[in-house]
Amino acid sequence: MVTRELLAACRRGDPKAFEEVVRRTHRHVYTQALRLVGDRHEAEDVAQEAYLRAFRGLPGFRGDARFETWLYRIVANAAVSHLRRRGRFGQPTADPGEDLATDVEAASRRDPSLEDQAVDRDALSLALAELPVGLRIPVVLKDVYGMSCREIGEELGVSEGAVKVRLHRGRRRLKRALFPEATNDDV
Amino acid sequence: MTCEEVRAQLPQLAEGGLRAAGAVEEHLAGCEACSAELRRYRALILELAALREVLLEPAEGLLGRLLAEVPEERRRRFLERVVADELLHRAAFSVGGVVVGASAIGLLWWRTNRRGSVSLEGVPRPAAPAADAASI
Repeated sequence: MVTRELLAACRRGDPKAFEEVVRRTHRHVYTQALRLVGDRHEAEDVAQEAYLRAFRGLPGFRGDARFETWLYRIVANAAVSHLRRRGRFGQPTADPGEDLATDVEAASRRDPSLEDQAVDRDALSLALAELPVGLRIPVVLKDVYGMSCREIGEELGVSEGAVKVRLHRGRRRLKRALFPEATNDDV
Repeated sequence: MTCEEVRAQLPQLAEGGLRAAGAVEEHLAGCEACSAELRRYRALILELAALREVLLEPAEGLLGRLLAEVPEERRRRFLERVVADELLHRAAFSVGGVVVGASAIGLLWWRTNRRGSVSLEGVPRPAAPAADAASI
């Protein structure tokens, strides 16, 4: 967690303070980037871009929200810009997020605490990785990182209503993947 | 209310954006399939929120690469500029405050004086001293 003292040190001009901020947040930033773009190398690019933006935007951060919340938004913005540059929006069936799926499996194997948790969580991570990017981004930003549909709409350049529709579709796909036995219950 | 109408509202109900009430609540009380569907959505949304703390392992050396992107010297220079900007802003605010304050005081002083001179016009002049009247 990034404390007020650490941010105050950044503002006082302590160059080690920003390094400490990166040290404390980089795994969260990388994870969010990977969940959004679905590719390890691209996630690193997004993380780098996000820190550059955070570095430049630091004077504008006045502490109204938690620093982590502010940083999540910057990562989301960097990821969306990245995907847009790569032309990966508007292809609802492309982008299976293979790296993300592999990493989630690998993380489950490496971390025994994850194996102890319900199998559903791993299955959920895999299902999330396999969602098309146009559905994955609203679900990740809303349900994992707590952004509002309005904020997501601003990032994606679409209406709040369009975000809600994608969110609904994404959640329905995830539910079907997680509870295949209940698929017949779908109306 | 039909199952189809209720199902459309289940994800929002599951995330707490809506409270089951009225016809929806009645339907859920009598329809096990829709209630089960609501429980699935709730489980899904809870698990998604929990993913925020499930961190994926980056490739080795990511931290070094991220820090190299913004080298220490550049960080130091940048942060010095941030501090200088902040001091400049504070100074500008202080000067601005003094100017606004002085203007307000000046305006009040001017209005008070103006009101004083206007009111004097209506006041009758004092009578001439008695000695002067006698000499006339």
